[in-house]
Amino acid sequence: MRRRPNPKIYLVTGIILLSVIAVSFIVGLFWTPYGINATDPAAKLTAPSLQHLFGTDNLGRDVFSRCLAASRYTILVSFAGVAFALVLGTAAGLFAGYFGGILDRIIMVLSNSIMCFPGILLALMAVAVFGPSLYNVIWALGLVFAPTYARVYRSGTIELSSRDYILQAKIMKVRPGRIMFIHIFPNLMSQILPAVITGLANMTLSESGMSYLGLGVQPPAASYGKMLADAQSYITAAPWLIIFPTLMLVFYILGLYFISEWVRTTYGGGRA
Amino acid sequence: MRYKGNILEVKGLTLTVSNNGEPGAVILNGLSFAVRTGEIMGLIGNSGSGKTMTALAVSGLLSDFAKIESGQIIFEGEDLTAKTAKERRKLLGEKIGVIFQDPSSALDPLQTVGSNLAEILRVRNLDKEAGRRQVLDMLRIVGFEDPEQIASRYPHRLSGGQRQRVLIAGAALMKPSLLIADEPTSSLDTVTSMSIMQLLHEMCQEMGISILFISHNLNAVRNFCDRVMVMKDGTVIDSDTSWDIMGQPRSAFTADLLAKSRLDPDKLGLTAGKAADDAPCVLSVKDLSAGYSNGALLRKSSRTVIRDITFDIKEGDCLGLIGSSGCGKTTLIKTLLGLIRPSSGSIEKNGRIAAVFQDPATSLNPAHTVRWHLNEALKASGRNAGGDKDSLFIRTLNETGLAEEHLHRFPAQLSGGQRQKVAIAMCLIGEPSAIIADEPFSALDAASQASVIKLLSDINRERKTTMLIVSHNLRVIRAMCSRVIVMNDGVIVESGDTASVLSAPATETTRMLLDARMYGV
Amino acid sequence: MRSAAGTILIKICEFALTALLVSFFTFIAFSVIPGDPARVMLGTDASEEQVENLRAELGVDRPLSVRYLDWLGGALKGDLGDSLSFRTPVNELIKSRLPVTLGMSLMALIIVLIVAFPMAAVCASRPGSLTDRIVSAFGHVLFAVPAFALSMLLILLFTKAFGIYTAGRYTAPSDDAGKYIASLLLPSVCIALPKIAMTFKFLRASMIEFSASDFARTAKSHGLTDLKILLTHIIPNSAVSSVTVISLVLSDIMGGSLIVEQVFNLPGLGRLLLSAISRRDFPLLSGIVFYLALITVILYFLSDVINAAIDPRIRDGRSL
Repeated sequence: MRRRPNPKIYLVTGIILLSVIAVSFIVGLFWTPYGINATDPAAKLTAPSLQHLFGTDNLGRDVFSRCLAASRYTILVSFAGVAFALVLGTAAGLFAGYFGGILDRIIMVLSNSIMCFPGILLALMAVAVFGPSLYNVIWALGLVFAPTYARVYRSGTIELSSRDYILQAKIMKVRPGRIMFIHIFPNLMSQILPAVITGLANMTLSESGMSYLGLGVQPPAASYGKMLADAQSYITAAPWLIIFPTLMLVFYILGLYFISEWVRTTYGGGRA
Repeated sequence: MRYKGNILEVKGLTLTVSNNGEPGAVILNGLSFAVRTGEIMGLIGNSGSGKTMTALAVSGLLSDFAKIESGQIIFEGEDLTAKTAKERRKLLGEKIGVIFQDPSSALDPLQTVGSNLAEILRVRNLDKEAGRRQVLDMLRIVGFEDPEQIASRYPHRLSGGQRQRVLIAGAALMKPSLLIADEPTSSLDTVTSMSIMQLLHEMCQEMGISILFISHNLNAVRNFCDRVMVMKDGTVIDSDTSWDIMGQPRSAFTADLLAKSRLDPDKLGLTAGKAADDAPCVLSVKDLSAGYSNGALLRKSSRTVIRDITFDIKEGDCLGLIGSSGCGKTTLIKTLLGLIRPSSGSIEKNGRIAAVFQDPATSLNPAHTVRWHLNEALKASGRNAGGDKDSLFIRTLNETGLAEEHLHRFPAQLSGGQRQKVAIAMCLIGEPSAIIADEPFSALDAASQASVIKLLSDINRERKTTMLIVSHNLRVIRAMCSRVIVMNDGVIVESGDTASVLSAPATETTRMLLDARMYGV
Repeated sequence: MRSAAGTILIKICEFALTALLVSFFTFIAFSVIPGDPARVMLGTDASEEQVENLRAELGVDRPLSVRYLDWLGGALKGDLGDSLSFRTPVNELIKSRLPVTLGMSLMALIIVLIVAFPMAAVCASRPGSLTDRIVSAFGHVLFAVPAFALSMLLILLFTKAFGIYTAGRYTAPSDDAGKYIASLLLPSVCIALPKIAMTFKFLRASMIEFSASDFARTAKSHGLTDLKILLTHIIPNSAVSSVTVISLVLSDIMGGSLIVEQVFNLPGLGRLLLSAISRRDFPLLSGIVFYLALITVILYFLSDVINAAIDPRIRDGRSL
């Protein structure tokens, strides 16, 4: 007999994975076994041991401490970036979908042209011009992600606009702003929620890529992407330098995917 | 060669459906019936009674979750349950044809109509040229005058009725001996439904195809089927010739079903709303034309849907608007409500006009409570609630037959009828001079229909609120409206006193609408 | 409903407009540098004379619109000026690096398509089966690993387990086509794997949806076997609905290749881009960005054309 997987499995796995990150985030804020940038010339590239749970890197820095500390930037960039993208995308999508016509055309052409810069290219461009800093990374990635949300809101708004209750509101001459944000917006929650959670995960992928290129989170702050870039010369000599930061990233991203999958299957809503 | 005897015999069929690996719920419980060769057998019942599951079991289209526990399905003397899935699939399209409820997406959108149909012949390795002719012949039989042109079209360019005809052509292409029709007309409009049912009737008569006709509409079954059976909880509880079963139902359930489905507006004791002779004009429409514009980037094309509409309604009047679907009724209403800008002509309104729409599923905003809806309507009307809003809301709800407890509910917690009543209460809050109601009862069950009709009629008479009622139910129109307008193809073809228009129709449109009613659809 | 010709005309106009906008964004981004662009580019330790020279070279004293039209005119002719750091035409620099990035992207796309389609068809024909669950779970994990981290893990695996180290041995296609492909194979796989997961997930969902569609049911009632229905109805319809997703995947692949070539030490556009960023070589930078974006615009346009070619509804100007 065939069974559909129980959506609760997604939720439970997601929560377990994310709690690992949440614990490292909270612990990392207050305590790390060693200083984040404290070097120990006597203990370079040592394998994981009881002294150094995740081993040490080429400068003798404790990987475990750095993994704890790096989670805060991963979380900060993903949440702040998605929040920025969401504000921009929501407004653009609601206006485009509700008013249609020329405004819709303009917004869609703008968002399409943003999407024409493949991957993180637009964000790289912004960082090249304005310099690599945490805030530039956040708004630049937010800009890259905004069209995704604009599309979800636009199609949702177009769909809802033909519903009788929106027609009713138009007949009652409710102001367009009110129709958009009070009448339509709450009804798109179930569609936007999975997109927001998936967005957090994708934002993390992008941020780690930028940090890997040295254009994301800047030293002295620790970030998983930068840790992996530093480890590149020691892939075979010190695999733990790659495995642990990667695991941290995978736990966070996979946890988010599972939660969004759970939201999607439980509350219906849009597709990926 | 037609099979002698019963073309289909179902004996003691028990079927369960499992959900997520849990033991199955019994859907069909020892179901037994027979379809005689050459007859149309009607199968009626409420939703969940097992009608559709019966159709799927007989045709062999059951999903993997459904399991036949016991019983036999004997088709042309052979037990289908003993056959392999492959043998059963081969029977489909060849000996057994099936058509379903909603034709809107039942054809592959990427293939032409001809290709969609020709696959029946392709999988049987039949001659290509002969097959093409066979497809064209069948398209002609189902009523297409230019079959070649239809065959070369893509499905999205066909109307719902045309699609259902194409699907019937597919089901009948191999001249099967049994056709299973699962609610084939319930998503079509009245006049189209009627023509589809006529087509099925002809196929039974002329091609000798036996039909198992599944419907929830008793009136449709009454005039169309030779025999009828009533299903409840997976078994047949009543079966007889259609006239007997409608006239003297044997079981209490059938009687109840009949009573519920047959809305008799005459028994509601309505009096048609009529305006006083000196009453002022509430809505005056003159030479109104409107349509939709396709705002392409390069050129703007527009399609005029309604033309030169002229009528007026006086205070307290109740005007009916009828016409088959696509005649422009909805466009007219949207234009009157200001949702579409008229391309020419004028609309003079005296006071506020409120609206009630057809579908109770989308009439209220699912994200907000009833109180929010009423408050929104109150704010929009600019009316002074006089201090205590809630007491005004409750008074209004009471007037529509709802209670205080409904005030803080969400739409999902209300029935269809209750939602329509909230929509009406929203209208009343604004104290409009007129209410436009677009098929406000057609999506409701008979009991709720009766109460909503009564409510609107009461509002019309007691509050002197002018009404414009759109409905395809001519009996409701007759009972509620003193005047009626008939539309066809975007223009008013007939108007006047309801009784005289409906008893002595002057145009073909009105006659067709009355005919369709005879078929009960 | 519009005519097919009208639809194509509109698409072409949209394409031209998008390409123009993309060029404008690219240009404007490098022209709004806060402060004196020449000074910013050269850094604080450059002499006043150098700055003055660069100003003249960039032509910053001319109005923005003139400079934009100038630059656009050059770009259309394939002349994007000279790189400041390499002192060679931007065009030639890009041309020499393009085979790596494009070759890798193309190979990755092919890998994605030939793996994702059959896998989705197998899983969607028996959703919830053991195969389906294992493949889907594996897909989720692949989804979650950044491509560059995956590359490192694969390099680790290949060196430790098989003793082969492939990174950094690039052969130009003109020298040896076979070795060229071989040198790009592992990087392409690394870029492709997460995208296979994404494409697979979308295709599987759409195939399951179409299997339950009314037209699949009609085909059953016409007596077609499940396999025949999969081949003639479900796969073509899923392909149509996935054209947009696949073009997004392709754009992601190109973006991803910029990073992954870094791990494998391949001389592609990504490394050129990084060196342009670190040397503040804005003419080169804007050239790379513009070309990459233009390629993406063309890809999106092609996907629209393909879509219209197979879907009659789109030819009629209906959006899905």
